Amino acid sequence: MALRVSVGQYYSADSPIHELDPRAKVALTLVYMVSCFFVANPAMLALSGAFVFAAIAASRVPVRLLLRSVRTIMFFLVFTSVFNLFFVQTGQVLLSAGPVAFTYDGVWAAALYTLRFLFLLLMGALLMCTTTPIALTDAAEDLLAPLARLGLPVHDAALIMSIALRFVPTLSREAENIVAAQTARGADLENKGPLAYARACVPLVVPLFASALRHAENLGRAMDARCYVGGAQRTRFHAMRFVPARDGVAVTGVLLYLVGLAALGVLL
Amino acid sequence: MPRKSQAAPSAGQAAPDEDQVARGIDQTGAAGTTGFSDGHRMQAAPVAVFDRVSVTYPDGTEALRGVAAAIEAGSYVCVIGGNGSGKSTFAQLFNALIVPTEGTARIFGIDTADEGRLLDIRSRAAMVFQHPEDQMVTSIVADDIAFGPENLALPQPEIARRVEESLRTVGLSELAQADPADLSGGQKQRVAIAGAFALRPDLLVLDEPAAMLDVRGRRGIRRVCRELNELGITIVHVTHFMDDVLEADRVLVLSQGRLVLDGAPAEVFSHEHEVRELNLDLPLSLQLCEALEKRGLAVPHLADDDQLAQALATDAPRALTAPAPKPLDREAAPAKTVPQASLDAQPVIEFENVSFSYAAPVAKRRRGLLARLRRKRAPQAPLPSGPWALRKVSFSLRPGTLTALIGHTGAGKSTVIELACALKMPTDGTVRVGGILTTDPERRRELRRAIGYVSQSPERQLFAETVFDDVAFGPRNLHLGEAEVEQRVREALATVRLDLDTIGDRSPFALSGGQQRGVALAGVLALRPRILVLDEPMAGLDPAGRKRTVELLDRLRSQGTTILLVTHNMDDVASLADSVIVLDHGALALEGTPEEIFSREEELHRIGLGAPGPALLAGKICVAGLDLARAPLTLPALADSVASALALKKEGGTRGAAR
Repeated sequence: MALRVSVGQYYSADSPIHELDPRAKVALTLVYMVSCFFVANPAMLALSGAFVFAAIAASRVPVRLLLRSVRTIMFFLVFTSVFNLFFVQTGQVLLSAGPVAFTYDGVWAAALYTLRFLFLLLMGALLMCTTTPIALTDAAEDLLAPLARLGLPVHDAALIMSIALRFVPTLSREAENIVAAQTARGADLENKGPLAYARACVPLVVPLFASALRHAENLGRAMDARCYVGGAQRTRFHAMRFVPARDGVAVTGVLLYLVGLAALGVLL
Repeated sequence: MPRKSQAAPSAGQAAPDEDQVARGIDQTGAAGTTGFSDGHRMQAAPVAVFDRVSVTYPDGTEALRGVAAAIEAGSYVCVIGGNGSGKSTFAQLFNALIVPTEGTARIFGIDTADEGRLLDIRSRAAMVFQHPEDQMVTSIVADDIAFGPENLALPQPEIARRVEESLRTVGLSELAQADPADLSGGQKQRVAIAGAFALRPDLLVLDEPAAMLDVRGRRGIRRVCRELNELGITIVHVTHFMDDVLEADRVLVLSQGRLVLDGAPAEVFSHEHEVRELNLDLPLSLQLCEALEKRGLAVPHLADDDQLAQALATDAPRALTAPAPKPLDREAAPAKTVPQASLDAQPVIEFENVSFSYAAPVAKRRRGLLARLRRKRAPQAPLPSGPWALRKVSFSLRPGTLTALIGHTGAGKSTVIELACALKMPTDGTVRVGGILTTDPERRRELRRAIGYVSQSPERQLFAETVFDDVAFGPRNLHLGEAEVEQRVREALATVRLDLDTIGDRSPFALSGGQQRGVALAGVLALRPRILVLDEPMAGLDPAGRKRTVELLDRLRSQGTTILLVTHNMDDVASLADSVIVLDHGALALEGTPEEIFSREEELHRIGLGAPGPALLAGKICVAGLDLARAPLTLPALADSVASALALKKEGGTRGAAR
């Protein structure tokens, strides 16, 4: 279940963000994510925060859902930012106890790293929540089309990604079942050294591999039966159209944000 | 060598050929036409012709031998046969997934060996497989249905039209944006059928589409097949359910790769002997006829329920040889008397006010800052407002009994099982197994020794290099000596009618499906559990496999094992269970003996559960005008009550004539 939440959970809703041309959405999301790395002062941080939350508000995706999907990664981020607290020792000392001192720079670095990464992740999660896997792969395929000219199998890669997303819940449920069944047969994964642990994993890993192979074989056959021919010309159910009134507005919005961010960066 | 044909395109195929696209467009809205040969209709011309087809797999197994048949356009054909009869291979001949090693298969007049024309065949001969999950390429229902039309390179508006129409045809329009993972098995399989239908095929081949479904799901599939057939699509339905077969115009029976019977259902089932020899079930109606004959009554053999009911009600039984002899012992329903001792004994599984929510344990487990903050906010740690997987469920299992657990997908059956096996902990209430609380970590090992768990499709947990090692996994985890382990492995395999010396050294992955399930079962039995919990152990088995499993359960119970059985087969409930627990939306809906449960028809109907086949047939016989004394749940009981009703009627008849 945990996997399911973090990977590609589409949240169906009727919103301008959902309707955007997926290519524009993917590209703009990437631009925003990159811009997060240039955030360097509190005003910029506030602006990029405002931007991502505005996008979330427009998308009608519940913030809690997004926060939940970035929860695991955020845990690591908070953990690493704590290092900043301890190791950045420049600037005004805010609090000191014996050898440990928290400085203004340390606190700022910790907050900056955590928050800008949070914004970046939220925007990524928003993309996943507002775009169906098919639209995502179609968009990726189009955006990577130049690579296809170099002979890279862009289309197949896109389809593989879609199928991988599709099988995440299936395989994770099967993994749960296998763990349950082997546990009931007395498999014990606790209190073991690394070697014993690896051995103890065999009854879990082998069936899971066997199952993945079985799925692959069945799926291959089913795709053949449904007239799939690798590399052949296909059409698309969802036409992607760049509508200036809709996607143009989004592009303009992101450009304005970039200008604002740059201005704040230069001025402050 | 058979070629599992590759979809590798030749250069000419890279671009979809134009008349194919054109054909696709022409056909829209005209799915009813069975015309298959470039424009001119050839009604009743065969869509598929198999000329002495043999298929041998690279490992030497001969899947089909000299099969010759022609399938007429617009017909509805069922293909039946036990496991290993070659019916799956046969199904795949239809769209060139498998190409004959010998002989020829012509579909729409095209030789399947002609690789250049694979797409011509596949775009018109669609296929649906057993596992719906393995047929879906994406996580949105509508997008998945579009996959086929996209592959045919149809224009976008046409794809949209077909997706919409296909969804409507299978009755899933409102689920267009759903994730297939959230659907029930029956719904998933209907999505797969919609995906096939979106190709606008002339022929639809279904390979055991309902093997994993409950009665309701199966009925849905049958209805959809019937409707598609009425649209003019030729249906080839591979199955081992006899009620599916009665739907067809024609039945092909395969056995060990040979086509052994071919004809209309009634005709095929008139060869009762052969059908039995082939380890296939007869339809219930014919089983009743046989049972009545054994009771000395000659009745016309009619496969159709209604006809049989009519015949029984109107025609007096022709030759009532002697007063109906006592039914053969083999057939008599096993006397279901629960030993008095066990009534007094401690219940072996006891649920007391058990609730379970998937949302809760996460919060409970977390002992970090967040949880502490949360606890501060809500000091009472109230139970989550839902969704509840299980809500205030209480029941207990008496030792030595078999309890059936029934209910719909999502009713909470799996949750009950996992709670009983201490694989999940109740959010509220207590679960005791053999008197041990499942939440007691100290006695977990003891608990695990007491209870054995056979999950759904248990053969999927096989992992070891040899059958012996796999079955020995459990006993070794109990740290038993090697001699004891071997003894247990031998015994457990013998219980499932497998022999250690013959298959002990083989890889479990090299066995047949039925044998694999046997080995998986043995792996649990080797732990010698006093309590056995089984989740749909009969799902996906052919009639012979089902029968073996039913016998096994009966045997285990008579040896004193307490059994909790999850099943969706009401016939099994009626013939096996001592008591029944019915779950509905996470709550305990009904509890009692099979007789008590099945007498509450209305409630069962509301929950969406059916009655056992014999009870349904009895109902039809009553409606036709023959009064049956009581509602029989099993075939022997039905035969008995029909026999006595007929005897009574005859007596009345002769008395009337004498007067």
